[in-house]
Amino acid sequence: MMRGLLTGLCLAAGALLCGGAAAATGAPAGTEPAVRTHTLVIGKVSSNPRKHYLRLKPMVDYVAERMGALGITRGEVLMARDNAQMIQYLREGRVDWVTETLYSAVLYERAGVAESILRKWKKGVAEYRTLFFTRMDGDIRTLADLRGRRLGLEDPGSTTAFFEPLMILRDEGLEAVPLSGPRVAPPPDKVGYALAGGEINLATWVYKGLVDAAAYNDLDWNNPDHTPEALRRELRVFHVSEPLPRAIELVRSSLDPRVRTRLIELLLAAAEDPEARSVLWSYQRTSRFERIDGEMRGAIRAYHGVLGDDDGGGDP
Amino acid sequence: MKRLSPSPWPGLALLAALLFPGIATAGNQQMLQLLSILRDNGTLTEEQYQQLVLAMDEEEPAAAPSAPSSPGITTAPDIQLTTEGGVGVQTMDGRFGMRLKGRVMTDAALVQDAVPNVKKGEVKDQLGSAAELRSVRLGLEGWFYGDWEYQLEVDFAGDDTNVGDAWLGYSGFDRSRIRVGAIKEPFGLEEQTSALNTTFMEPALPGALVPGRNVGIAYDTHGERWSLGLGLFGEGLDDGDDNDVGDEGWGGGFRATYAPIAGARRALHLGLAANYRTYGANPDYEDSRLRLRSRPESHVADTWLLDTDDDLVAVDAATRLGLEAAAVLGSFSLQGEYLQAGVTRGDGQPDLLFDGYYVYASWFLTGESRNYDARHGEFDRIRPLRNFGRGGPGAWEFGLRYSALDLEDEDIEGGVARNFTLGVNWYLNPQLRLMANYIWVDTEPDVFGNDNDPRILQLRAQYDF
Repeated sequence: MMRGLLTGLCLAAGALLCGGAAAATGAPAGTEPAVRTHTLVIGKVSSNPRKHYLRLKPMVDYVAERMGALGITRGEVLMARDNAQMIQYLREGRVDWVTETLYSAVLYERAGVAESILRKWKKGVAEYRTLFFTRMDGDIRTLADLRGRRLGLEDPGSTTAFFEPLMILRDEGLEAVPLSGPRVAPPPDKVGYALAGGEINLATWVYKGLVDAAAYNDLDWNNPDHTPEALRRELRVFHVSEPLPRAIELVRSSLDPRVRTRLIELLLAAAEDPEARSVLWSYQRTSRFERIDGEMRGAIRAYHGVLGDDDGGGDP
Repeated sequence: MKRLSPSPWPGLALLAALLFPGIATAGNQQMLQLLSILRDNGTLTEEQYQQLVLAMDEEEPAAAPSAPSSPGITTAPDIQLTTEGGVGVQTMDGRFGMRLKGRVMTDAALVQDAVPNVKKGEVKDQLGSAAELRSVRLGLEGWFYGDWEYQLEVDFAGDDTNVGDAWLGYSGFDRSRIRVGAIKEPFGLEEQTSALNTTFMEPALPGALVPGRNVGIAYDTHGERWSLGLGLFGEGLDDGDDNDVGDEGWGGGFRATYAPIAGARRALHLGLAANYRTYGANPDYEDSRLRLRSRPESHVADTWLLDTDDDLVAVDAATRLGLEAAAVLGSFSLQGEYLQAGVTRGDGQPDLLFDGYYVYASWFLTGESRNYDARHGEFDRIRPLRNFGRGGPGAWEFGLRYSALDLEDEDIEGGVARNFTLGVNWYLNPQLRLMANYIWVDTEPDVFGNDNDPRILQLRAQYDF
């Protein structure tokens, strides 16, 4: 009897408190931002929210179920249209945790809204490299030979087929300028780049001589689905980048440090947890997470200066 | 029963919170701690605790979001509007969405060398050239609260309104989904692949042996390279018992697929399916009957050249078996199936076995590859490397198919046929394709010596969104 009364009182109190709190905001729930201390939100830039919801929801649920001691009781997913919107979400506190590639991670860090916490072995891969390639019978041997030539890249959101190649060219002292198409002649003292939109297109462009060279990552180069063997035989790699982390987990800078610490603990241990097996598989077939060591941290910071002030809106 | 805590502090704390709203509004953490104490000492059940925490979560007031270690905020998610001809809308949290979809298939057929279709010495009909709307379908698919899904398709072609897929599903399980409604039974590669994505205009002859779409419950699960579908179904899409002649039939089965190779341009598909089905009393004859029949791979040429007609009487059950294989190697692909249906009958009638198979090859002149989906064991939409227009050729595909079906066994003379089909598909873009099939039909003469071996040229314009 007493227990029932106390329970009823507690429920009534909760309802009154929450009702009073809502009244204090002067707006119905859903129209004004509401503080959430018990929901962990994972986010990603996506053009297909449904697809990524199915991939991310099991993981955020797995983590949220293990954060009860911190007051986290559930997990949610929120996708952004592009990096600029994700930066806004992180700044406003609408997203707590993001899984992205290096390019986006650097954008978020540079904006001061998120910090990289772990490397993700996305699809079982820890790192990849950008390759520059040309026709087997072409005369390009070094990056310097690209001056006055046309380079094929994928799209502005690509880490290894846009961001990294441009950074490498910059480090070589080469200025890259966009071309409106692959047939447009570049300035003689600069590298002109044109966007192909896909790996197989890039290989075909080089093979057919539409561009003088192209760049994308070694995973796509070694995948016959993206670089057919018949094409690869006719192409030659002339520059290979340093390895880049395949994917990165970030948290918003203003996240409760206890939540951040617990998240890192859980993700690092996930590979050994049988209950996480299917969760990791759904989570872009991740095999494990590992800490970002000093060397990797330095490499990420080195990219911060690469981006111009107008970057940040691309969709990876 | 857990003993009630004698401590008065929880109640007093709540009272204080009620009397001094400042405590409540200033301290979410304090309130959470209070609720935790109440839960830990048994005053609140875990369920009640969760309800209160959730209520707090949804109703708490705003706070400065950018402060160090600040809590997050939540607002209504944005909406994404998409279109590929139709209209799709979804929330950016991925939990709610819907898509209006549809298709129009317009066919025409030119039939040559056809003779009257004679069954048991009687002329039934004759193949003829014609044009038709093969399919005019509108559909709606969507999802809500993240894990619930639905689909509803209605086809208006011909004189009837036919329901296609119409189901409600739940996908909150690990890589699994359960559905109830009108669903294709899990059987056959060509059957599971949408008609929008098949290489030829109509299914091969053995398509006469698949159980088709029925009302029931289905479970499907998958891995990166395998899929498994199970189902239990009634008979047909209506109640099947409107003439009160007894129970309708039921059926159940499975389909399992495995892809040793599952790349975007290289794939090897293997599949196995089995299905058992009983048949309810036929309202016209008051016994259970099964009719297996096949057009000459042309829907416009609307004549059943192979047909067991009303001869399969007092049928107890049909047991179906399907074997599938397909390979994709760049622009080239092969596909084949063997299907059989064993029929058991009452009244001392002998058991029967009908079977058929097909094999076909496909090749893309323009470099595309058939789009294999290893997680579902079927083929998806073709996306041209360069859409037609502005110098783009679209995608051009050539196919050659050989298929055979034998509906004769013991006392049943349903007929035997073997067809060759040459197909050309022009995919102008992912939503629009033009198709041409030329079919050499070769039926075996029946016991009366009637032989009907027409040639059929048929064309299709297909648009979907």
